[in-house]
Amino acid sequence: MTSSKTGGSTDVSAGLNGLKTPASPIARSSSSHSMDQSDRKPEWPKQTTPGPQSRAAKSKGMQELRMKGMESEFKVKHLGLLGVLAWILFLHIVGIFFFTKGFLLTRMVLENKSSCDVLPFDSSSSHRIQKTGKHGEGCWHEKSFDKAVVLIIDALRYDFTVPFVPTAESESAHLFHDNIPILYETAVNKPENAFLLPFVADPPTTTLQRLKGLTTGTLPTFVDAGSNFAGTAIDEDNLVAQLRSAGKNLIHLGDDTWHALFPGYFDANLTRAYDSFNVWDLHTVDNGVIDHLLPLLHPNNATKWDVIFGHCLGVDHAGHRYGPDHAAMASKLRQMDELIRDLIAKVDENTLLVVMGDHGMDAKGDHGGESNDELDAALWMYSKRGGFGRVSPDTAMPPKFARERFIPQIDLVPTLSLLLGMPIPFNNLGSPIEEAFAGNDGKDWHNLVAVNRLTSAQIKGYQHEYAIARGEAEDQSSKLLALWETAEKDWQKLSKSKSNVPALRSAYDSYRKFQRHNLHVCRALWAKFDVPSMIQGIAVLASGITLLVIYARSINVDRTELTPTLLSSVGLGSGLGSVGGLLLGVLHLVDMPILEITCLSVALGSIVGAACVFFSDSRALSLPLPNSVWGWLAILFTVSQSIGFASNSYTIWEDEILLFFLTTFGVVAGVSSMRQKTTTDRVLGVYHSIIFVILSRIASFSRLCREEQMPFCRSTYYASATSSTSAPWQLAIPFLVTLIIPGVVKSFYAGSKSYEGAATLWIGFAFRLGLLVTSVFWTLEGADDGDWLPLSRDTLKSVRVFFAQVVLALAFAAGTTAFAYSKPCVSISVERSAAPEDDKSALPTEQPGKTTVTILGFGNIYGTRFFFLVVNFCLAITLMQKPMGQGAIGLMLWQILSLLEILDTNSLGTSNSAIGPVVLGLLGSFYYFKTGHQATLSSIQWESAFIPLSTVKYPWSPLLVILNTFGAQILAAIAVPLTVLWKRPLRTSEHGANLPSSPSDSSKSTKNPTTKILSDVIQAACTHILYLATINLATTMWAGHLRRHLMLYRIFNPRFMLGAAVLGVIDIVLMLVAVAGVRWNTLSVGEIFGW
Amino acid sequence: MSSTPPSPSLSTTTQNPPTPKPSSPPVPFLPSQAARIYSFAHPFLLLGLLGLRFDKLVADPVTELLNDLPFLALLQVGYVMTCLPPAGSGYAHGHGHSHKAVGETGGSGDSAGEEKRKTNPVVRAGKAGYRRRQQKGEAGGFSVKLIPALLSLTLIFLLATPVLSILLVLFGAPLTTHNFETVLCAAHMAVLSTTALIYVHGVDGAVWKEVWGIARPSDGVWGGALGTCVGAWFGAVPIPLDWDRPWQAYPITILTGAYIGFAVGSLIGRASFLYGKRIEFTPEELGIEKKVD
Repeated sequence: MTSSKTGGSTDVSAGLNGLKTPASPIARSSSSHSMDQSDRKPEWPKQTTPGPQSRAAKSKGMQELRMKGMESEFKVKHLGLLGVLAWILFLHIVGIFFFTKGFLLTRMVLENKSSCDVLPFDSSSSHRIQKTGKHGEGCWHEKSFDKAVVLIIDALRYDFTVPFVPTAESESAHLFHDNIPILYETAVNKPENAFLLPFVADPPTTTLQRLKGLTTGTLPTFVDAGSNFAGTAIDEDNLVAQLRSAGKNLIHLGDDTWHALFPGYFDANLTRAYDSFNVWDLHTVDNGVIDHLLPLLHPNNATKWDVIFGHCLGVDHAGHRYGPDHAAMASKLRQMDELIRDLIAKVDENTLLVVMGDHGMDAKGDHGGESNDELDAALWMYSKRGGFGRVSPDTAMPPKFARERFIPQIDLVPTLSLLLGMPIPFNNLGSPIEEAFAGNDGKDWHNLVAVNRLTSAQIKGYQHEYAIARGEAEDQSSKLLALWETAEKDWQKLSKSKSNVPALRSAYDSYRKFQRHNLHVCRALWAKFDVPSMIQGIAVLASGITLLVIYARSINVDRTELTPTLLSSVGLGSGLGSVGGLLLGVLHLVDMPILEITCLSVALGSIVGAACVFFSDSRALSLPLPNSVWGWLAILFTVSQSIGFASNSYTIWEDEILLFFLTTFGVVAGVSSMRQKTTTDRVLGVYHSIIFVILSRIASFSRLCREEQMPFCRSTYYASATSSTSAPWQLAIPFLVTLIIPGVVKSFYAGSKSYEGAATLWIGFAFRLGLLVTSVFWTLEGADDGDWLPLSRDTLKSVRVFFAQVVLALAFAAGTTAFAYSKPCVSISVERSAAPEDDKSALPTEQPGKTTVTILGFGNIYGTRFFFLVVNFCLAITLMQKPMGQGAIGLMLWQILSLLEILDTNSLGTSNSAIGPVVLGLLGSFYYFKTGHQATLSSIQWESAFIPLSTVKYPWSPLLVILNTFGAQILAAIAVPLTVLWKRPLRTSEHGANLPSSPSDSSKSTKNPTTKILSDVIQAACTHILYLATINLATTMWAGHLRRHLMLYRIFNPRFMLGAAVLGVIDIVLMLVAVAGVRWNTLSVGEIFGW
Repeated sequence: MSSTPPSPSLSTTTQNPPTPKPSSPPVPFLPSQAARIYSFAHPFLLLGLLGLRFDKLVADPVTELLNDLPFLALLQVGYVMTCLPPAGSGYAHGHGHSHKAVGETGGSGDSAGEEKRKTNPVVRAGKAGYRRRQQKGEAGGFSVKLIPALLSLTLIFLLATPVLSILLVLFGAPLTTHNFETVLCAAHMAVLSTTALIYVHGVDGAVWKEVWGIARPSDGVWGGALGTCVGAWFGAVPIPLDWDRPWQAYPITILTGAYIGFAVGSLIGRASFLYGKRIEFTPEELGIEKKVD
């Protein structure tokens, strides 16, 4: 602005003498943004300037050439920046990939099912099943029971079930001891009827993962690759599916997790599911199970069912709520004891009764991790007619402590399958439980060998298929196969020599050895972290951040100037890296797939290349330390949050911490505004700071609590803590948003007189209409949930889908077109004979009686136009949120605008302070939580995929879920360029004095001002990425460091996944939407005002 | 970009920001022996009392805070009346910002800070120069001191407490529960931070504008006030940790932080290396560069 010294341009077109940008009372921008006409005159409205014709024509030609040159220069440089962003994205992907590969344990899900008709032995040996069947029953093995009652007592820890034995002298019995003695009593007194064993879970000890293990017989991993998008239903072969396909009638009572896993498997009339989330309710589920279970055992009802799965939650909830050492736990356990006694009394001889815990609980009553207390559950089986036995006196009594002698939980699967005459599920890794097949006297070795041979064969078949699915040949020399061969030899010997016990025993032992070794191998495969790979990932991420710090905060030169060198150097580095990587891979110097090693060395090569560029000119570098309170504040927010992720508490309470930070920023902004010299700056700054802080606090009332926040948190996002639908009053929120938010946006536009041109149509009409349709959509959704309308669900659904598609079309199709082609939000009027205004920007040389051009909206020409893009995405994101979340997104939009005004009044925009992009990052994270999300997998709102669609459609469904999940972060990222564009003064290249020089000359001598825009934008974008990348690196490192932490699966791992996903999504959004949008924005401004 | 003043100042291209209004200088403690000793002892006294009552505070915050409030107010009033010049005494505050030349130094510099200021050119404090030594000093009668003290107490409870309560809520304090805790915490913070400010400066608009802009020159009074707020800010840090300690309950840590902050701020704010300095938000050089850019 102060470049007014270049004023007095010689070629001033005669008729033009002033630009007037009237000030509004609030628009502080006006006078300070008013253009010095000396700056501007030359190239602007050519058509209206009558000038000396010849000269004008000549200069016009030159001008146009120059304009073209500048425009194409801008386009090329813009593309270069996209290239830089793509490179940053590549580094992030490589880093995250390598860490994830070592950290997230994955397992492929095989779709194969075991079949009743085909024995698991090699098909070559053509063992078709001989349906000799003494009773003609049982698939692979003669069945022992017709029916079964499986009762899961959630979190039934082993030490609850055995008599208290002090481990230390002083230790006395706790309240949870000795309250459920029935299991132990029966196991000791009637060993042929019952046995009790410690039943050790595989972590994570969450009910969902445990139920998967208990029904499929496989080990849980964090990601079961191959599972469906949007669905927890088990795809793998499992016990429930086998029972169902054998035509058994299954009943489920209790915890509704079963229905997420096995939708449609249970008898709809008799099944009773209860919500599992409400951990404060100890009795509803249990009473429901008891009330419905006992009548079913009445002989009259015997034909109505084959297998009942009961799942009691009271013990678990008592643990969560009170901890184990509490009277509530004691009475809960006594209630369970009573229930089991009733069951024993009622079951008939053909019914197997199984009682088990799916996991234990820690000293505080929680679970999820991998401590012994959480892993050690109890298993008890009961048969009225006997048949259970002990093969040795050592195993006669239930162990005193869980770790004395235990079985893994997956052993339940083959045991139950064979006892009920089912084929063993294809993926099973467990072994049949000895006690269940040993016979009353514990000497039924024939049976034991038979069941173990079946199981071993099934496991071998699984390994074979898994190896094929992975595309690898089975390792013929492996120890596993050797064990299998030994066992088979033992068995063959057996068939020659009849029933001698030592031979049977040895065959039995061989099969067991094979099974356990297999389990051991699988555990190592699926439960071992690959630390070197994790370190490689972290190294790539960390060096990426270092480069980003330099690029975003420490380089003094124009970033666009640097782009060609940077990109070519990065390209060279990548090229060398890829050659090196390929060589290493081809020559097998490293033990990695070729593709992976190539990626890694490309990343490393490009890092080295970029580092060379950055450090080659050390004069252009400055220490990336902030020189103002704002820079320190940005660092404080980023770094303290990153450090906080090392603690589970700060991770759990992230939403509150973000509110604290945002309020801190607002207060500091208010304080800083108080220091401003001009009154308008001061008043507006303080006003917007107050608004900013209050909006954060209002938004903070929208909460969806995660389990760990209980009991200090109350969910308000849905109608109640136990529902996922909105309360009727919440349906008013979208309408309020429709009423208020467009008006708010308008007021911000009006503040700089920019509510002109396309803005009136787009904000006043289209945005409002879109929000209105969205409101109607969600009202219809509410009507569907509440059955308020006499319309069929299908009709409602199709109407809704239509509305949603209209909104999306408005936001994306129409919105993008409008953004690409619309003119800046200015109105230009030309008046003749305007009297000199009191406007101070008017030059003193101005003469009255000439043309005065008034441009409204001049002060914010870049910002208001770019904001259309934010509005478009805001509309789409609003549609994808629940009503409460829509209110939050509306507040967020308002807050973004307030933030931009704060940045402007405190001169933080053009100075490229880091605080703007970082606070946008905070806002994005904050509103992530305020739109009903948490850093947990369970908070993903999968159902949002069906807002504008009726069925799952790729790739749209995942994109819609992303838009719902990361909506807040996306909105914040798109607003990032605004931190430097909002109220940015228009600057063009024109400097009249040397205009008549040759075009080539002038293009060198006058710098293209749009490159400064690009440089600022890329700096802001990289600062925003820097915030997210730092958070990502921190969560990554902490997750890797705390990989043995109890809370890994519940807290650190989900937070790591969130951080990585956000980083990837935002990298892409910044590149393809935000920074790309700057292109159309600048072109459009340049078209009107020149370059 | 935006704060460019209109063109007149452009033409002059002055390097100086527009002439600042005369700002009132930092306030030294009274020179008497008793004042100097007690001004050092008071922060420790408060901390000691907090330590003594801490267990009670943890056990029943509301009752304890309520019971302690009158004593705290009395202590603070005693402190300011003993150690600080009252508003309007002319010692700290000339009426209507009399602009004294810098060269006019007081006779026997009563605080290390004043002497330091002469030797330390970096200090940007007290552009207005400091007041001549007041003959009145500690002379002014008891009533001269009592009225500002009473004014101070009134304003604390009428203005400062509500403002701080609102701030606490904005920072995330519960709105629907714990209201007594919030108000009492705010009251304690207000008594700590504001008593001396009002006592010394009264309701001088220019000073309060500086207070809101955190632009006061450092002294014992301002250090205590700012320290209280910063301490309370840091006091929020341990709350979310899952240590299950009873003292983690809101608002105990915040209040403890405020007390510690007050003590540290009072002592550091008057220290010679800080006395009279102001907190800079942005370096001045940057500010000019921005305008030129």
